[in-house]
Amino acid sequence: MGKWKSLLFVMMAAMLVLAACGDDNKSTKDEDNEFGLVKKGKLTYAASGVYKPFNFEEDGELTGFDMEIGAAIAEKMGLEANPVTNPFETILQGLVANKYDAIIGSMAYTKKRAEQAAFTEPYYYSGGMIWVAKGNDEIKSPEDLKGKKIGVVSQSTYEEPAKTLSDDIQYYASDVVALQDLTIENRLDAVITADIVGFEAIDNGFEIKEVGSPLWVEQPSIAVHKDNEELRDAIDKALQEIIDDGTYEEISMKWFDRNLLDIDLEDAELLE
Amino acid sequence: MSTYEGFLKAVLITLEITAIAVVLGTVFGIIFALMKISRSKILQTIANLYITIIRGTPLIVQIMFLYFGITSIVVLSNFWAGAIALGIHNGAYIAEIFRGAIQGIDRGQREASLALGMNRTQTMRRIVFPQALRRAIPPLGNQFIITLKDSSLVYLIGVSELFGRANRAAASNFMQFETFLVVGMYYLVLVLIFTWLLKLYENKLNVDGS
Repeated sequence: MGKWKSLLFVMMAAMLVLAACGDDNKSTKDEDNEFGLVKKGKLTYAASGVYKPFNFEEDGELTGFDMEIGAAIAEKMGLEANPVTNPFETILQGLVANKYDAIIGSMAYTKKRAEQAAFTEPYYYSGGMIWVAKGNDEIKSPEDLKGKKIGVVSQSTYEEPAKTLSDDIQYYASDVVALQDLTIENRLDAVITADIVGFEAIDNGFEIKEVGSPLWVEQPSIAVHKDNEELRDAIDKALQEIIDDGTYEEISMKWFDRNLLDIDLEDAELLE
Repeated sequence: MSTYEGFLKAVLITLEITAIAVVLGTVFGIIFALMKISRSKILQTIANLYITIIRGTPLIVQIMFLYFGITSIVVLSNFWAGAIALGIHNGAYIAEIFRGAIQGIDRGQREASLALGMNRTQTMRRIVFPQALRRAIPPLGNQFIITLKDSSLVYLIGVSELFGRANRAAASNFMQFETFLVVGMYYLVLVLIFTWLLKLYENKLNVDGS
């Protein structure tokens, strides 16, 4: 009896402590550390590391478009680049908990995410696209997905739209695993992910194809801690500088043979 | 750095986390086992609470809790959050292993040493504990192997240990099956080496007699 009473007491005490920790999440700023960086003199930025060709590992090193953009921005800010990886499902929580200064990991701006983090201007545009197995002639439009099993990366921008198209959603930690499941019979009917990521998988021998054209345009942006608008503005300035001096175009051409910012936004539906 | 070297580095991180977790777990295990068999009601209650809570919740929840839960008090790096969570988790199981081993020693031994004039602490330290430790070795070895494999869960908070490294390698080479086959073999080899070392140790204890 006494044992259970004290157990209950400790649990309630723990809950109170947790509740008290809730919102006074002060960012760890000190005076001589500009922008309150996690590591002094370094721009520490996170990506999932499983999103080829944007951020992935080659020979044990993090590389890809996002990583090079991050390095170029850090250089303009006079900081050392310090890329780290964190699974996508917990990447925003990691930022909120001050584990790194920024997310440069192909995270698209959305209003909901903006409640938790401050976003820069988009550093590229990409389209959300439906992918199916190469031999699948049944699915020709988004409407055909009703009742079908759709694979998406959890916490990605594709999660909400997928839910409006079907009730049967399967969640993944990596786009590559989701796309691979398309090629295995009876696993998945479709995957929704970025156009560029799907084309990269096809280049690597995946037997998949796209359905129609991109459903919408997303605005991947750099996220920083919500209170840290100084850092956000400094990154925005550095981003504009690398766009103006041609560094951006050079990096984009290297990875995609085109400039990802060159896109006709006239009739596009922007995802928010 | 080649992929191969990257994997070796990841193996090292896996071993480091496991080692820290094993040491922490053993220390916690001994302390809480002694608390649980002590005569103090308060110490017993604290030990019971710890063991009940830790064994009653999944390791993954404990890892997340330590990494994200108390950031306003202390900010742990992902490595330390993972290693400490694993250590605390192990402590609860190791405490029960030690308690079982100590209580498994025949009452007569304790009574005999008390009759010889040793006090309770001396009895525990010189007579009961050395024998209990020997009995605890096989289940402890088992627990250490579980720890080694459980350390793969810390990939979820972004530690570049073996599983996390493999996961990212698979996303870049587009070969899920092959990569996880290889990483499975890494774990298997590590466990086999560990089992072998344990066997040597057990044999040594037996050969020496007491």
